[in-house]
Amino acid sequence: MRLLSATWADMRFQLKHGFYLVYVIITITYLIVLSFLPENIFSVTLPLVVFSDPSVLGLFFIGGIILLEKGQGVLMVLVVSPLRSQEYILAKVISLTIISVLAALAITFFGQYPTVNWLLIIISTIITSAIFTLLGIIINAGCNTVNQYMLKTIPYMLLFLLPCLSLVGFPYSWLFTIFPSVAALKLMLGAYHGIYWVEATALTAYLLGFCYLLLRLTVKIFEKEIVFQD
Amino acid sequence: MNFDVQEGEVFGFLGPSGAGKTTTQRLIIGLLRNYNGKIEVLGKERSNWGKDFYEQIGVAFDFPNLYIKLTARENLQLIGAYYKNKAEKPDEMLDRVGLLPEKNVRVENFSKGMKMRLNFIRSIMHNPRLMFFDEPTSGLDPVNAHIIKEIILEQKKAGKTVFLTTHNMTVAEQLCDRVAFIVDGKIVTIGSPKDLMIEHGKRVVKVEYQKNGTLLDQDFELKDIGNNSGFLNILKTSEIKTIHSGEATLEDIFIKLTGRNLL
Repeated sequence: MRLLSATWADMRFQLKHGFYLVYVIITITYLIVLSFLPENIFSVTLPLVVFSDPSVLGLFFIGGIILLEKGQGVLMVLVVSPLRSQEYILAKVISLTIISVLAALAITFFGQYPTVNWLLIIISTIITSAIFTLLGIIINAGCNTVNQYMLKTIPYMLLFLLPCLSLVGFPYSWLFTIFPSVAALKLMLGAYHGIYWVEATALTAYLLGFCYLLLRLTVKIFEKEIVFQD
Repeated sequence: MNFDVQEGEVFGFLGPSGAGKTTTQRLIIGLLRNYNGKIEVLGKERSNWGKDFYEQIGVAFDFPNLYIKLTARENLQLIGAYYKNKAEKPDEMLDRVGLLPEKNVRVENFSKGMKMRLNFIRSIMHNPRLMFFDEPTSGLDPVNAHIIKEIILEQKKAGKTVFLTTHNMTVAEQLCDRVAFIVDGKIVTIGSPKDLMIEHGKRVVKVEYQKNGTLLDQDFELKDIGNNSGFLNILKTSEIKTIHSGEATLEDIFIKLTGRNLL
């Protein structure tokens, strides 16, 4: 019940601060740009755009949201309320995942991508959004300004997004699948270009396990840095 | 530091900035974990309490912590949703602190005083047993400060316990059953404001009177004042301007005990 209330509170917060409007504008911009691309580039670009939404954008959004909460002092009130750290974190993940999934579906639907596995799009977007939202909360834990957050984000971005280049393919490039971002992107590309169900299941299971561990780590760091400042 | 707060008591924690008031409060609230010694709150060692502890306490910090893009009512609804005890009549509470007409106004358009009032009712809307207020009347005009003080006394009447941190000696004197003075992490004295004021005051009566067009004043020992002929003579023959007993103010006591001014 508290989790539901917290998710609802987060959605209201994001709506009032214009995050949804930003998402709509970005989605429309993506669709306009995509409509000008030739067929062969479009088929690769659209999945990448959909992937970048919950990852790169998500990372910046969660940073902004928590900094706003810190600035307004709301975080202090939540800390002394019955809301558990895990519920606070999950509410952030769920609320941001909802807009990410809506954006992913809108871009794919209105972009009129020919072959699509909708279920896989939803699964990969949820997982990608969860990973990067949790990562954003971890990065944000020790930050008080936008500049601090931006600077701290760069190494994480490089660590998570650079390995994605391995998907162009080279000897042993499959080893990079160990990076959760690569696994998530593989799953996302699979939703558009086709993927064996065994591989999709294995990637999903691996990523869900990673998400669970990342959630545990996020709760720990959140409590150490934000809740108990001792 | 060793002290206890009784159930149904308003306990004032007074002292200059950096004295350790906030740290002590944070320890009791549970925001600092590593401590030596014992902190028993609501019948249980603090470190043994989980998040359920917060169902039973209310905290209002000395600065407003509100969703500024949401309205007053939305703020109460969103935070209130995390408690098992739901606020039964949020509009009545808003009305009590004069915010009902602005219930649908975004908090970003509120003055500091309005934010403080909203912050205050948000901290008590779940009907907590134990409340922590940090400078609850800060930024409020006398009328609104009076309303907040009245609500605090009503809470006390209802058997609730209040832990009040303040620099405002008048507020402490008006509200607190007992106060503790904190300096450099230590309690230098503790007691009821009245007892402390008498204990640290002078046992005299100061009379200000006018005689032959001149304003004069004189101190008389309180002991056996009814038989003090000089005092009685002034009362009979002069025009009395003021009469004051010589008890100390809480601020006097603080300065006397610490050699420091309240900041």
